[in-house]
This record gives sequence, C-alpha cells and structure tokens, in this order.
Amino acid sequence: MKRVIEFGAGAVTSKSFNKDWRTGHKNPSIVPFEHGMLNAVGLSNPGLDEMIKEIQLYKEECDTPIIASIFGRSIEEFGEVTRRTCEAEPDMIEVNISCPNVHSEFGQPFGDSCPDTAKIVQIVKEHAGNIPVAIKLGPHGPGIGVIAKVCEENGADAITAINTVGPGMLIDIDVQRPVLSNLTGGISGPAILPVAVKSVYEVYKNVKIPIIGTGGVTKPSDAIQMILAGSTAIGVGTAVYYEGIEVFRKLNEGIEKYLLEKGYKSIEQIRGAAHE
Amino acid sequence: MNRSGALRMSDLMKTYPIRKIHEHGPGVKSFYFDKDFEIRAGEFVNVWSPGVDEKPYSVSAVIDDMIEVSVKAYGPFSKDLMIKKIGDRLGLRGSFGHGFTLHDNALLIGGGIGIAPLRILAQELTAKGYRFVNLLGAAVAYEIIFASDFEKAGKTYFTTDDGSKGKKGLVTDDLTEIIENEKIEYIYAAGPEIMFVKVKEIINPLNIPYEFCMERYMKCGIGICGQCCMDGSGIRLCVEGPVLKKEDIAQITELGMKHRDASGRRV
Repeated sequence: MKRVIEFGAGAVTSKSFNKDWRTGHKNPSIVPFEHGMLNAVGLSNPGLDEMIKEIQLYKEECDTPIIASIFGRSIEEFGEVTRRTCEAEPDMIEVNISCPNVHSEFGQPFGDSCPDTAKIVQIVKEHAGNIPVAIKLGPHGPGIGVIAKVCEENGADAITAINTVGPGMLIDIDVQRPVLSNLTGGISGPAILPVAVKSVYEVYKNVKIPIIGTGGVTKPSDAIQMILAGSTAIGVGTAVYYEGIEVFRKLNEGIEKYLLEKGYKSIEQIRGAAHE
Repeated sequence: MNRSGALRMSDLMKTYPIRKIHEHGPGVKSFYFDKDFEIRAGEFVNVWSPGVDEKPYSVSAVIDDMIEVSVKAYGPFSKDLMIKKIGDRLGLRGSFGHGFTLHDNALLIGGGIGIAPLRILAQELTAKGYRFVNLLGAAVAYEIIFASDFEKAGKTYFTTDDGSKGKKGLVTDDLTEIIENEKIEYIYAAGPEIMFVKVKEIINPLNIPYEFCMERYMKCGIGICGQCCMDGSGIRLCVEGPVLKKEDIAQITELGMKHRDASGRRV
C-alpha cells in the first residue's frame, strides 16, 4: 500500500475482509486473458482481528486515506465487522455486497436484492459512527441505478461501482478443463470498461452521493470517461498488471493534461458532463 | 521485466506436455518442457496441474530448448507432480519476476532443493566466462541435485546433515573461510529461509554484495494481489523478486520469521 502512494494514489482500499480468516480458492485464482483478467480469489483475507492491526499499522506510517473494504456472510456479520473495523479508524468503510465468486457459500450476492441491500446499509450505518460508508455494487441484479437509490435512501455516503463482471469461465483447450480452480471467476480489466462506464452513468443519474468508479480503468482516457459519466474518484486494481505500479502517476498526469488542453480549471467542471 | 502497456502471451494459461522426466532420488524429480518463452536465472514459472493447484517454481535450467523444473515431494501439489508421466500436460505461465544479476568471482550457496535456481545461474555465469565456486548442502546426498554438473562447472564444496556427501554439517559452517580462501567478491544464495538468516549474519560484516532467491506463498504472480508482499519494504516478491539484492533484503523485517499464508495471515 505504501508503494502505490509513492506512485500517486490518492487513497488506498484494502482487500475485502470479514470476521474469520479465509484461505480463498486454490490457484489458479487469477488468470489474464487477451482483454482482461479472470479472478476467483475467493475473498481470501486474514480475518477481522488481523486486518484491524494492518490498518492501524498503515495509519501509523501513512497519511493517505485508507478505505477498509468489508463483507459478511450474514446481515448481522456486516454489522459486527463494521463495528470492530471502526476501532482501526479507517477514513472510509467500503461494503462489498457484490462479489460474484462466492455463490455456493454465500448464496446470491446481497447486492442483487433491494431488501437485503437496505438492511445491510442500515446496519452498517448504525455501527459506523462518523466514518463514511460506501457501498460496492455490481453491474448485475435488478439494475444498479435502483440499488444505488436504495443505498442512498438508507444513508450510504457513497457508491463504489463496479465489482467484477460475470462470473465468466476460461477453458484450456488442450486439457479441456476450466482454468480457474473455482471454475468461474469475476472479469476485470479493459474488457469491462464499457460496463463500468455505463454503470457509473446509471448511478449518477439516480443518486446525489459521490461515486467511486472502478472497473477496467487502465489509461487516462478510461479514467476521463469515468469522470464524465459521474465518478468523483477512480479505483484501479487490474491496471497495475498492464501498466505497472506507475499507473497511478500516469493516470493523474493524463487527467491533468486533458483538463489543461481543454481549458478546464478543475475536475468538477467535467464530472458528469456526459449527462448534459 | 518491462510489461508496460503490453500483454505477454506467455502470461496466459497454456499447457505443455512433459517431454522428459529425470528422477534424482526418492521424491525428487526434474521435468522437461518445450521452451516457449524466454527465461533468465532466478525467474520463475507458475506450474498448473489441472484439477489440483498451481504453484510457482524456479526454472533450474534451459537445456536443448527445453525448460527444466525440479520438484521435491513436499505437499499435496508436489506429491501429485511425482505421479505425472511423459506426455501428461501441465500449465506453464511465465517467466515471472526479476532474476539474478551476473558477477565474476562469485560464490553460489544452495540448500536442499533450493539449489535449483543456482543451476541455471551457473549456466549463465559459465556462458559469460565468469569464475564461480559452489557451496551446496542438503540433508542427504541424493537431495543435492545435479551435483556432478555443478562440479564440472566450478569448484564445489558439499555438506550434508548425515555426512553422506562432503563434509558433515551445514553450508554455513565453513562459509567465512571459503569466502576468504576463494577470494569471493559476490554471493548468491538459494534455499530455506533459515539458511538465509545465518548466511546474512555471516556475510554482512564482510561487506560483500549478495542476492538471495526468496520464496513466499503466491497467488497471481503478476503483482496485483499483494499476497507475497514483504513486510518492512512492500516489495512484491513475484514482481520485484524473487531474487532480492542486499539493499532490499536489509529492509525486510520478516526474514526467517512469520509471513503471509494463503489467507494473508502472518503465520
């Protein structure tokens, strides 16, 4: 995390964690293909107690804001994990209700259901105190605009859009078996950029709260599209593979260059501009 | 390795038939595959056994346009590899990571199956015309794989726990004397982490630059998942490693201590 800050990241998001540690799925769990990446890490994480320590350690050493990404196996667990996570005083809590890889164990993602989403947002807000809460949504379910509205109505402070798309599958044609140990995995990278841009656009149309746009952003022009669709902040993960850890600096420079060339004084002038 | 902006086809999953198998001793084998991508000493490949798992392995040599991967039966994955036959297909992705830099008058210190990446290093040093000395240790004689190849390539000292080959004891026992007598100017080490701790302790005061080939649990192999980050430095072992220089190793606070398992816990 310290290293991405050196390269210009404005904030860092932890990997999603829950109450008990999880090993996740066996390898191969992350496999690139020609237009993106397929992953079924399986929400591996060291568990709540360890993550609280990790975040505290981070905060001792870094000033850049940290977003703690949490999930739960039940609505109650979302509440408990939020309450405990607050001990570490992260700058924001992101609630992952949309991981596509954990069907068998967790049922359908909570984010596919409006009533479940409402309950989770309420319980998280109840326990989060002054710490702002972002809800991480996927492109699936009853419509991301509708779900985002539910989140806003129940007190969410921001929306993160989107989680990985899918799940999808890749098959090795020589051994004739799916490549991922989990068989299926969420799709990220350049392939999903249009889905992410459209999702941010939908969310922006439906809510007033800020949007953290994530999904397929690799180049400055991708980030600018996300801002034009309505993003306040941009999240980057898979692009580190394509562009190296320098991607954060390259994106910042590219956005600045665009603003300068078009004669804008601030990023606010282009946020959501695609809607007019 | 510069991957900026471009996708390397060899990062994609592809399976290759096993061309040849060499058995060194009980539970220690080398597997040979057609060489489909460039690989340098110290870099690694991800080996996928369909339906079982995928793990990172150092390549131990490039011979006759074949990649050699040497494996010791240890856990369920490597035990599964032991029953593979010629013609069976395994996935290979790579090469990943940063390997060794090449220097003259070097000492190659290897422990157990960790010797593997030193074999390809010896090949590259030989190709450069550089002089080097080997110091190889293992529990028993047959675990010192490619012993005769190392002996042919350069002066070689052996140690074994039971004295079945070379001197009875550890590679670190006579390390100081060997460095002095052989006029060593650069050190490479590969093997168990406890060996690194001891080697580091001995050679740090001698002011000799060194590189260690490290191991950690890895998931993606491509620098995005954070699983193999080294405490104290944030070094992603799969990208900035697995070979780390003295300066990098100095920052690591977890050498020989607990590090992250598959869940990311420190164990």
